Amino acid sequence: MPDLVWFLTRRLFAALLVMLALSLAVYLIFYAIPADPAHLACGKPCTPDRLEQARHFMQLDQSTLQQYLNFLKGIVAGRTFGDGAAAVHCNAPCFGYSFPLARPVTTLITDRLPITASIALGAAVLWLLIGVSLGVIAALNRGRILDRLAVGVALIGVSTPSFLLGLLAILVFGFWLNMVPVNGYIPLTESPVDWAWHLVTPWIVLAILQAASYIRLTRSQMLEELNLDYITTARAKGASEARVVLTHGLRGVLVPVITLFGLDLGSLLGGAILTEKVFSMQGLGDLLISAVGQLDVAVVVGVTLFSAFLIILANLVVDIVHGVLDPRVSHG
Amino acid sequence: MADPVLEVHDLKVTFRTENGSVPAVDGIDFAVAPGQTLAIVGESGSGKSVSSSAVIGLLPSNADVSGEVLLDGRELNGLPNDELRKIRGNDIAMVFQDALSALNPYYSVGWQVAEAYRLHHDVSKKVARRRAVEMLDKVGIPDAARRADSYPHEFSGGMRQRVVIAMALVNDPRVLIADEPTTALDVTVQAQIMRLLDDVQDEFGTALILISHDLGVVAEVADDVLVMYAGRAAERGTVRDLFFRAAHPYSLGLLGAMPRVDVPPKPRLTTIPGTPPGPGSITTGCPFQPRCAYTHLVGERCVTERPELTPRPGEGDHEAACHLGRRPEVIL
Repeated sequence: MPDLVWFLTRRLFAALLVMLALSLAVYLIFYAIPADPAHLACGKPCTPDRLEQARHFMQLDQSTLQQYLNFLKGIVAGRTFGDGAAAVHCNAPCFGYSFPLARPVTTLITDRLPITASIALGAAVLWLLIGVSLGVIAALNRGRILDRLAVGVALIGVSTPSFLLGLLAILVFGFWLNMVPVNGYIPLTESPVDWAWHLVTPWIVLAILQAASYIRLTRSQMLEELNLDYITTARAKGASEARVVLTHGLRGVLVPVITLFGLDLGSLLGGAILTEKVFSMQGLGDLLISAVGQLDVAVVVGVTLFSAFLIILANLVVDIVHGVLDPRVSHG
Repeated sequence: MADPVLEVHDLKVTFRTENGSVPAVDGIDFAVAPGQTLAIVGESGSGKSVSSSAVIGLLPSNADVSGEVLLDGRELNGLPNDELRKIRGNDIAMVFQDALSALNPYYSVGWQVAEAYRLHHDVSKKVARRRAVEMLDKVGIPDAARRADSYPHEFSGGMRQRVVIAMALVNDPRVLIADEPTTALDVTVQAQIMRLLDDVQDEFGTALILISHDLGVVAEVADDVLVMYAGRAAERGTVRDLFFRAAHPYSLGLLGAMPRVDVPPKPRLTTIPGTPPGPGSITTGCPFQPRCAYTHLVGERCVTERPELTPRPGEGDHEAACHLGRRPEVIL
């Protein structure tokens, strides 16, 4: 498959350029805000002298461009703040250093990612299954009671805020019925059962919210698909209705569904802010929100760039899957 | 004529719509014997495609079909869908007009031909594939073993139609219904496809129902012709009856509208004045009467009395539904 290799090379190169442009934009935006991270580090009382010292240590006294170049260099070669015994090292790839948390941003992200990924991936599997199957059922029962039910569920799903559904779920299943734990995260490596048990409520809540758009997309796409000539051909060949729908119809439905799915999953992996907050899970979303509150610009930039990276990655994966699903798509 | 393999008696198709029921086919009869070709001719909306779909129960659920459809004497109309499914693609196969849209773009052509075989034969994928390649080879796909893995969009229009024909013939059907199989193709390819259909018919003794508005093709391949107008039979007879002894003014109009190489071209193509009536809009009298140039020779009856198919004296099975007792002379 030399076509695919060439395609990947080009796309990765393009992705790199986008990331570079994006990092500059993000960097400029967050460093232009009228807040001085050195203030937080300078302690009390904050004399101009100590402030200047802190700024120097954090390398905030250099020009913005120089700071950006330092940031880029850190990704490749790592960075060291200060010198001597007080020096702080940030190993490559260094996406900045959080002085308030006293940790490199890279470490913070890799620490928090498993939590967010656990929430996002589990919910994604659920919502894809629920969304596509309800969408297919709705399409096959167009205008009948099952269709109305599925469309109704979708309407509730798109219009309910996640915090409301999340809090309701905690209230009902956590407190009143006492069925599931209401917060906390157990790593998968520690106990897979407890891991899943702690995650099941956020999974379901997120899945209900996200499934809505998949129900609608699958339904409309399937209705369109079932009108196509090759569906008639499949029937004329003697295929059963189930085979007509699942083998001949679903393939075309999956193409746009997978596109939406990749992008949704990509953005969710960058942090499910509200869900994490509601279920008290310390994922990337939680990290980002806390960092914003504390003016921890290095973390904000790092997490934002990481989220952007995930979206770009998701786009790339979607394009590859697209080519696998639809032979008419050429990667040449 | 040998015993017919497929007989249709008094076939009526009515569509239930929001604006009441619309009759699309209003009582037609036809029969076709093994190795014979029946052409069903008429303009768009005359009910020719609806009739053929009704034969194998491929109409949407809002269509009411009545009448007899006998395959080797076995009544098909009213059979449960599961029983009809065993007949579709196996005893009665279809070839559609637009091969590009009739083939599923997501699967290789070999897969699609093999699927048609596997739907009616309990064989392994390997055996089915071998059969598919054999069939593709038979219909004239060069290098069939390799091309079987290609997708429909990688074929030319003519080759695609060959694939559709291979798919239709893979189960050795008794009856092949070809719904304008050459309309989407250019003229030289049309001839190749018609010759292919003719060859397979000779080889397998397949009965062919050719739905067409191309009288040139009809003259070449048909044994019998059924001319349809507004959901009813206007004329029925052998191909010689139609071309040399056309008894219905509509048939005559169709023949007159055909450009001929042996007649000097006129500045404009000849047409039949007026437009065909909408389904169900003519309830009394002859449906062709508003466009007919011969009503003055008959008078009131054309408006008040619906003509039935009546045998032409001394012309065998030749029948026409016209009040004009004699052959219409060409009026210029």
